Amino acid sequence: MRYALLVLGGPYSHQAAHSALRFAHAAIARGHRVGTVFFYHDGVYNAAHFAAPPQDEPHLVDAWRELQRTQGTVLQVCVAAALRRGLLDAREAERHGKRGASLEPPFELTGLGQLLDIGQTHERLITFAP
Amino acid sequence: MSEITEASHGDLLVMLRHAPHGGLWLREALDLALVGAAFGQSVSLLLMGDGVWALLQGQGSGPLGQKGSQSTFEMLEMYDIERLYVDVDSLAARGLTRDDLLLPVIEVSTPELSTVLAGHRQIFNF
Amino acid sequence: MLLHLLNRAPSSSSVHQDVLRTMGEEDGLMLIEDGVFGAVSAQVQHFPGLEGRLFALREDLESRGLAGRCDSRVIIVDMDGFVALTEEVQRTVSWF
Repeated sequence: MRYALLVLGGPYSHQAAHSALRFAHAAIARGHRVGTVFFYHDGVYNAAHFAAPPQDEPHLVDAWRELQRTQGTVLQVCVAAALRRGLLDAREAERHGKRGASLEPPFELTGLGQLLDIGQTHERLITFAP
Repeated sequence: MSEITEASHGDLLVMLRHAPHGGLWLREALDLALVGAAFGQSVSLLLMGDGVWALLQGQGSGPLGQKGSQSTFEMLEMYDIERLYVDVDSLAARGLTRDDLLLPVIEVSTPELSTVLAGHRQIFNF
Repeated sequence: MLLHLLNRAPSSSSVHQDVLRTMGEEDGLMLIEDGVFGAVSAQVQHFPGLEGRLFALREDLESRGLAGRCDSRVIIVDMDGFVALTEEVQRTVSWF
């Protein structure tokens, strides 16, 4: 089956991202595809490019990148939720006169309409909340 | 009761369980509902728990210009949100009745809640 | 049929009451994260009438030291079992 995950919790502050990653790996192990992970509300902080956790803690941003690299999972971040929380890709940073991007590929900024599309294009959508 | 049965054809149900001002849940949930309506989906809202405070009359903006949700709710009709459900137990537990609310609502009793959920293709719970 | 996910302990939040009122007769309830505190014998009375459809996530029980304290009325599933439950139901609803 084609799964999508919606992550509403920020990394480290809440368990949501850990649970979502664990679920993704378990779903893949059962032969499913995790097509998309959508980040909304404080979940957008999972895409924080400058996240630098201590070495003895899991690096959640890297874990998402790894999921994209190995499984082709699309990592979509709600643009409105991201911008108000300071997460800007290069294009938005330039548009807002900021130096440096705080969100980098493979994370992509997208509209909320994409979240509704996911419901049509994936057979399952599981939400992980803070 | 007939209004509840009618729900069986909704595309999108957005459940609102948080009060305005204390957090951004309510506003970001409403944003999703409005996008759904703008995309032509048949959208319902269900207010439950502290979400029922969102419809209380007399709200304003908060300090530092923090936006409330009253203006968004007043736009709902324009955006063609089809059904506005309110859990009556949550209202009663907070000493509210439908007369305290900004907009006309469809009251849902506890036994009808699962019917409302079952009647929608997609459910988001905020 | 829906699968409800709950990540709050009944001792810290009343959201479980709204979950129970919303659940259909066949719906399942999966306790994850801090929700698994509700699976211990002294707390499980907060989830009456759910025999056979009340689940708790093993890794969240174990990480909290609750593996031996989970009530026998709760079905313990691992992450693989959690995914399997979502295969059986079309939609899940997450409560927090």
